[in-house]
Amino acid sequence: MSEPMISLKEITRVYDVGAEKVYALAGVDVDIHNNEYLSIMGPSGSGKSTLMNIIGCLDSPSGGLYNFEGESVHTMDDNQLASIRNQKIGFVFQTFNLLPKLTALRNVELPLIYANIPKDERMVQANLALEKVGLGDRVKHKPNELSGGQRQRVAIARALVTNPAIILADEPTGNLDSKSGEEIMKLFDELHAQGNTIILVTHEAYIAEHADRTITILDGKINTDITKHIKRDVS
Amino acid sequence: MLGLFKENLLIALGAVFANKTRALLTTLGIVIGILSVTMMGTLISGLDRSFEKSMSFLGRDVLFISKHAWFSNDNWWDIRNRPDIKLEYMDKIKQQSKFVTAISPTMQRHIDVSRGEESISGMALVGTTPEYVQTSTTNISEGRFITEGEDRSGSRVVVIGNDIAESLFKNISPIDEYVKIGPYKFRVIGVVEKQGKFMGLFSLDNQAIIPSGTYFRLFSRRGWIQLNAKVDEAHISEAKEEITGIMRRLRGLRPEEKDDFAINQQAAFEDQYNAIKLAIGGTGLFITVLSLVVGGIGIMNIMFVSVKERTREIGVRKAIGATRNMILGQFLIEAIFICLLGGLAGLSLAWIGSLLINKFVFPSAMPIWLAVISMGLSLLVGVISGIAPSFKAARLDPIEALRYE
Repeated sequence: MSEPMISLKEITRVYDVGAEKVYALAGVDVDIHNNEYLSIMGPSGSGKSTLMNIIGCLDSPSGGLYNFEGESVHTMDDNQLASIRNQKIGFVFQTFNLLPKLTALRNVELPLIYANIPKDERMVQANLALEKVGLGDRVKHKPNELSGGQRQRVAIARALVTNPAIILADEPTGNLDSKSGEEIMKLFDELHAQGNTIILVTHEAYIAEHADRTITILDGKINTDITKHIKRDVS
Repeated sequence: MLGLFKENLLIALGAVFANKTRALLTTLGIVIGILSVTMMGTLISGLDRSFEKSMSFLGRDVLFISKHAWFSNDNWWDIRNRPDIKLEYMDKIKQQSKFVTAISPTMQRHIDVSRGEESISGMALVGTTPEYVQTSTTNISEGRFITEGEDRSGSRVVVIGNDIAESLFKNISPIDEYVKIGPYKFRVIGVVEKQGKFMGLFSLDNQAIIPSGTYFRLFSRRGWIQLNAKVDEAHISEAKEEITGIMRRLRGLRPEEKDDFAINQQAAFEDQYNAIKLAIGGTGLFITVLSLVVGGIGIMNIMFVSVKERTREIGVRKAIGATRNMILGQFLIEAIFICLLGGLAGLSLAWIGSLLINKFVFPSAMPIWLAVISMGLSLLVGVISGIAPSFKAARLDPIEALRYE
């Protein structure tokens, strides 16, 4: 097997609550490979959000080793983490988290601005990303002029626009009706088929079903790690 | 980096326009601060110019020997009881001094000047000698000044100021025409060049200058005489000492007795003026600093609110790759932008104000450096008041910021 894209070893995350130490993560080992379709499940308080934050470089582990494409993330400073988030990770949130005053296009453009990419190129890439999620005709709309499903598509376009190594989606269908949710999941399936690495965090079993591999977390530890052996024939 | 700066500027613009009333109220302090600093500066520079112009009629190199000091707190009665300055002193001072190059007396009273039906009251009648031309900065624009002979014989000739010439002689040259000074008929021999108003307050062009001999014969034998001694400007303080010595000898004062006369010079006005300037400047500075501090605190406050309101936005921006410095820059630019906007508003108001002063009070214009300084000041207030809220925004934890409702 090839070198994993993401490798977590003995990852712990400890919070000081007064004199007590609370282990949100109590030693997690995971390897995630390129073009995997992974879901992380677990009840609230299990530590799955903490795990997602650490994978997403929004948080740093208290102990353990985290390697991202061979680079050790656990030693990185704030600016390096920001750069990883910008270049390597695309976030999709439950509540979309679009900036309400900006058009769809400007929202998608934002990560490219932080990546210091020139205006012309930004426009091309942002338009392309919006077309990919089926919103090529909605680029000038602001979030409040779009439906929930469309907003989440804009958020996915924003996640895609920098060509990240992984797309990290936290309950992406949690705020959507079942029809829109189904469409969004179909979009993720397509993105995976196109070669993207996708990590879904969810507590809904039928959402996790879409993934090829499902990890369940309980009390800060990995409980189960099951990979489906269904060969997807794309012939 | 430029893309980011432009982006931040657009964000700031958006934030300001989204909260127009709030921005307006917040910048009020800055507006007032900049308004007061620029108005004060304009006022002082205008005063300076008009003071300089007004002072030129006194001459830097002239000492004015008189019964009283121009600006003093001496008891009026004491001054009243001092012996008069006598015309005889003139020759003695000129003989004994090595610094005095010319000396002339002036005697003054108010009087009406008329010609035919036209009459103007409250003109300054001045009696003097031909050397007055040297001891004053008076220039003759038309005709000539008084001669020795006219002075000795007490001729009824007069050199008139520009105001008198203009009001009594509409279309003709006043030279060799006649005017009535009080009840007496005088022939006009010259017109003094226009001198303008002293500090924009009273005219220097309402003088009627006649020979001292004539003045004594027709108007007054007594009265307060002032001697104007022109000296070498480089030795003005030595000359002052010297003349003081000569005067004390003339008066026969014993060493322990105080001077019973005063020697004035233009510097006395300058001291007085500088005190006024200091008062204006001090008050202006006080108002400026006060309103800028208040304005700065207001902006800091509003920026803290803005950071709080946009906590989630900050979280999103951080999640998609904004570094601390980028977030810091965003909010700092917003604070500076608000301050510059306030500064610009204050500057515009001050500019309008300076135009009004120029039109109605005295000639003045806002100096360019003042505009530059005031914008620099706005920038400084923006940086100082924006730094703390921006740091707060930059240091937010992305996870908590994203969770913020």
